[in-house]
Amino acid sequence: MKKIKNDGSFYLNPYLGGVILGTVLLLSFYISGRGLGASGAVKNTVAATVNVIAPQHVEKSAYYSQFAGGDKEPMSNWLVYEVLGVLAGAFISGIVFNRLKLKVEHSPKITSRRRLLFALAGGLVFGFGAQLARGCTSGAALSGMAVLSFGGYITMVAIFGTAFVVAWILRKNWI
Amino acid sequence: MERKYTILAVLMIVLALGLVVLPKKKEMKEADPKTLLSAITEKSRFLSVDLVTHRIIENDPTLLLIDLRPADQFKAFALPGSINIQPDSLLSVTTLELLNQPGKDKILYANSDLTAEKAWLLATRYSVDRLYILKGGLNEWYNTIIKPGEISTAASSTELDLISFRNAARQHFTGAGQTTNEPVAKKAPEKVKVVRKPPEAASGGGC
Amino acid sequence: MIGPIISSGIVSPAWDNIFAVLLGMGFGFALESSGFSSSRKIIGTFFGYDFVVVKVFFTAAIVASMGLLYLSYFGLVDYSLLYIQPTFLTSAIVGGIIMGIGFSMGGFCPGTSLCAAAVGRIDGLVFFGGMFIGVFLFSESFSLFENMFYSGSQGAKMINEAFGISPELFTFFLVLAAVGMFFGAAWVQKKVKKVEY
Repeated sequence: MKKIKNDGSFYLNPYLGGVILGTVLLLSFYISGRGLGASGAVKNTVAATVNVIAPQHVEKSAYYSQFAGGDKEPMSNWLVYEVLGVLAGAFISGIVFNRLKLKVEHSPKITSRRRLLFALAGGLVFGFGAQLARGCTSGAALSGMAVLSFGGYITMVAIFGTAFVVAWILRKNWI
Repeated sequence: MERKYTILAVLMIVLALGLVVLPKKKEMKEADPKTLLSAITEKSRFLSVDLVTHRIIENDPTLLLIDLRPADQFKAFALPGSINIQPDSLLSVTTLELLNQPGKDKILYANSDLTAEKAWLLATRYSVDRLYILKGGLNEWYNTIIKPGEISTAASSTELDLISFRNAARQHFTGAGQTTNEPVAKKAPEKVKVVRKPPEAASGGGC
Repeated sequence: MIGPIISSGIVSPAWDNIFAVLLGMGFGFALESSGFSSSRKIIGTFFGYDFVVVKVFFTAAIVASMGLLYLSYFGLVDYSLLYIQPTFLTSAIVGGIIMGIGFSMGGFCPGTSLCAAAVGRIDGLVFFGGMFIGVFLFSESFSLFENMFYSGSQGAKMINEAFGISPELFTFFLVLAAVGMFFGAAWVQKKVKKVEY
């Protein structure tokens, strides 16, 4: 059954996509003993960058020093490699399904600029929250659910519950 | 709703139900009785006092001596480098991890053979391998190594070699017969490494 | 081979990062081909016109959790060696709420924004860029949140423990709930007015 969005692009049946994703997740645990993730790579990159610019600051910081500084190699980290893979895999999918297109996707009722501003702000807020919760929807919620982690479920419920409310508050941006 | 999806949904529910009704497996793997019997009838689990002494003196890194006696007896005297495990905690998770660490020969001893035999049997049931018993226990060790033996006039050369070895060992352990009166320093028990690699808590995995 | 095969030493740890890339590729492909490079598709769940998030997310969750439990049952995986996200109750909730806000503002999460960026969506790229700023802000102001960050620690608690049931039983109820949601989603989607996206 094809699910066709109005732009005429072909999308995989979501249940099939879910099975594939679930299998990848399963393999991740089977091979490396851990689930997938994304926000961790951002954290490591930030820590590594700050370390290059101001190493003493990293050493003194209670947060950065956990992953960078000294002889730690934050960039040589499982998540960083995984994220590179994500980019590659998504790119391949874009080629296969002919979805490569440089554009800003937004509701016709708002401007590109507004969309980009909210994207930036949203990313900022999300990045902040992901650090606090030690994970994002992929790392904490999805991978957490795969191993029945209590914290993972809590975070998942918090994210989607809040997102639902906020989406309606900001509905002018979307529909 | 399309029939295809209903079938898939039912399949998922059945699979989940399967998880619930499957009988629970036991946590520890037990060796089956036949294997256990053949292990018992073999005598190779007994190691002689001389052999173990030799390995102690040589500082053999694969040696792990396990003292099964009560803690106060262990404190009073124990073989160099040995660790103290109480028989009633033999099957605890930490003890089994310790016993299962690779690359080590585990040698059980107590004052005589009895306690060590029982411990050996129990641990072997839980598939611990490279497990041995000091034949005769500490009593035998004391009688052989520490107490000076009498040299019979009709001793063969191999026996004489053994006696001179035991004399040397005595000196090593007690310092008796040496010019200085310094006791041999007790080798501190090695920090035992647990087999399993802990999940990557340190690297903050899971983001 | 008993998993996790890297921790148990069957495969050398040098392969870990290679597998990370491969697994990431599978992850990215699965996400993008299901439509997660489009923020409007993602947001569709909350307005009832596209439930792809619910379908993919929960299908993946039940496949993975059932799969791991079955593998553990057949002795193919040592469940105790799997990384279970430790629970820090306060920061899990507060962080989740903040992420929820960011989610509906930007229409992405980190993984999906990467997919979007990979196929040329500038809004995805900008979202991902915004994350760096957010992470930086958090790291710099860490001392303000340090207490919250470490409070409410419950270790690697599993959710079935919170209900006092076995993991298998919980997963069974999860599957029932997920299937219920899928049918519910189909019903809602039929009723919602058409949205141009």
